[in-house]
Amino acid sequence: MIELETFRGEARKWFADQNLPVVPLDIDGRFEVLRAWQRTLFESGWLGISWSTEVGGRGLSPVHQLVFNEELVRARAPQPIGLIGLEVVGRSIEHYGSDWQRRELLPRLLSGEDIWCQGFSEPEAGSDLASLRTSARDAGEDFVVSGQKVWTSWAKQAQWCALLVRTDRDAPKHKGISYLLVDMSSPGITVRPLVQMTGDEEFCEVFFDEVSVPKRNLVGEINAGWAVANHTLGSERGSYTVRRRAELEVAFDDAVAQVQSWSGGGRERVPDRVAAALGKAQIALQVLEGQTRKTIDRLVAAAGPTAEDSLDKLLLNGVEQAVFESVVDLLGPFRTAPNLAPFGLEAERWIHDHYFSRAVSIYGGTSQIQRNIIAQRILGLPRG
Amino acid sequence: MAEPDDQKLDLPIREYLDRAFDERRRLGMLTGTGTDRDFLRAVAAQGWFSLAIPESYGGLGLPLADLAPVFAALGEYLVPGPIVENCVLPSLLVERASAEGRSALLATVEDGAPVGLVAPHTGSTWADQLGSVRCTDGKLDGEMSLVRFGEQAELLVVVANDERTVCLVDPRTDGVIVVADGKGDPGSSTATVRFRGASILGGPAAEGRSAVALAAEIRGWMRMLVGCYLAGVARWSFDQTLTYVQQRQQFGRPIGSFQAVQHIVADMYASTRSLENMCAAAAEDLRDASPQAVDLRAACLKAYAAESARRVCENAIQMHGGIGYTFELSLHWYYEHALALRSWFGDERDLEREIGFAVLAGGAARNTTTQEVAG
Repeated sequence: MIELETFRGEARKWFADQNLPVVPLDIDGRFEVLRAWQRTLFESGWLGISWSTEVGGRGLSPVHQLVFNEELVRARAPQPIGLIGLEVVGRSIEHYGSDWQRRELLPRLLSGEDIWCQGFSEPEAGSDLASLRTSARDAGEDFVVSGQKVWTSWAKQAQWCALLVRTDRDAPKHKGISYLLVDMSSPGITVRPLVQMTGDEEFCEVFFDEVSVPKRNLVGEINAGWAVANHTLGSERGSYTVRRRAELEVAFDDAVAQVQSWSGGGRERVPDRVAAALGKAQIALQVLEGQTRKTIDRLVAAAGPTAEDSLDKLLLNGVEQAVFESVVDLLGPFRTAPNLAPFGLEAERWIHDHYFSRAVSIYGGTSQIQRNIIAQRILGLPRG
Repeated sequence: MAEPDDQKLDLPIREYLDRAFDERRRLGMLTGTGTDRDFLRAVAAQGWFSLAIPESYGGLGLPLADLAPVFAALGEYLVPGPIVENCVLPSLLVERASAEGRSALLATVEDGAPVGLVAPHTGSTWADQLGSVRCTDGKLDGEMSLVRFGEQAELLVVVANDERTVCLVDPRTDGVIVVADGKGDPGSSTATVRFRGASILGGPAAEGRSAVALAAEIRGWMRMLVGCYLAGVARWSFDQTLTYVQQRQQFGRPIGSFQAVQHIVADMYASTRSLENMCAAAAEDLRDASPQAVDLRAACLKAYAAESARRVCENAIQMHGGIGYTFELSLHWYYEHALALRSWFGDERDLEREIGFAVLAGGAARNTTTQEVAG
């Protein structure tokens, strides 16, 4: 296997030679540019780094994948559009999927030909995910799906959805759930976009009205979808934390660089409060750095999803919010003026990133759910 | 239950403490001066203070970073006294000190004579309240408050002239006056040390830029190892709490089954584990790091330790309810000592500012944010 440092050097050089795409703000333009970017990354061999070669990956380690991500983020390159497929859903298909699913779906997922969304949350099933009610009825050749999902990122653009459905109403709630792969062009699917606090609108509501799904699209066994779902959620917690760390570090470096260019490098113009806010963010990032070393050890050992992922995610939530809260606080009254840049800080960007940081303690399981998991599954405290 | 990783050197020390550091002995120190000369002599005989002394001077020659798990263990057992001074100062100074200074330092390693550190050791907020010391032609003048174990110290390391001189002085020398500051910390007692033309031992250990660098090294390792000690304080307070919430029954069930309690315990665990992981990462990286690299990493570690250990102790008391607030349990000793250590060489508020300016000044700071994933 290629040495990590050699691999890092190759990635760094590749990015240096690229014309990085300029990402438009409007959602359709953004989608098209980032999809083309995914194609470029794929054709250059940078996607599916840790996936097996049989599904179009490179068969390297998860740490190689993280190294590549660090280089991508530090090059200020955008992430490819199909991140949910690449980092979350695809990994579960690779792990639990049938030969047909892996062979047919994963290469197109990697290349960006197929974009995936993740149909987990429902209006009545957020933190209590296992109480989901979208159902799949056995109709011989097919399942027939009816129900509603919500907060489904990129559903409007996606070709496929990894969908959690109830297949046994009488079983205990965790034991009646199945994991289906649904073609989003199937008749009976309606998608309605939702606008988020940041002004972005990749969120959607997805309605399923008697949608036929072939049985070969079932991942794993019937009524055994909860384990697959937890595998997916594990990726959204542990390895996500390592990837996000690189993004937060780069964002912080940018904030520091903006203040430096405003102050001209000296400390005379810099108020104590500005230094303290940056110091606070730096400390938080150092905490996350120490924490993610343990995550990387687990990835190297291929430990799979564990309750420890919840510890990482809980800490990430605090760190991410501390970083952006520290920076955005320095805008003070200027937060109402996105075109201005007090202390050199570009208000529009920091306001956007700060709003997005409010989502981190909600997605992938709220901080409250992570605390439940830590208390009950790591510390062994009894359920209330 | 996950265990803290990276335990190495601390095992013999834990065994020794289990054997020789009983509650009576600890209480004697906590309610007395915060130390005990016989105990220091005994642990010196165990080799505690020679761990980081170069081999050419009879020590084990370990990097100070390797002492991280030792100090975490000392924090768990709440071992008070000038252990950090006696481990760090002779190790950093022995090669630079004058001949007289060197033999005085090695004597403390041998028999555990307390070493005091007379240095600006608060964050910038209190810098003007602390005093300062000048060294001119081998004579010291001025004063410094809050010198840990100033009354008990048998050797003083003095950082003078705005960190442009580092020297040693025998506190029994003429012109050294030591006045107790009162005792607000069970784990230490502090004093104001006044110099009136007191002679230093031999020549200065460092002057000019090398003194500035040495003062920064002293500060860095004090912060790093006190941060590790606070991680031990947090670990013990958390462990006690986890046990207690499973035993204590209210409303007919263990209080640990209530979500309000579980979430606080989960946060205590997250704070403790992340602080331990930060200590382990710093220990790994700082084994052969440049002194500049130590400075910023140690400041970040100390800042997080100051904040998180305090919070864990406070939550431990809260989770124990009424009894946690009394002398029936030891929680308060840990909390009180943590509060004292929190401010020594900077609490999180002062360190945030210091770190922010360091980051803006570039250099070592930037490397730490771009820590790379490695295999």
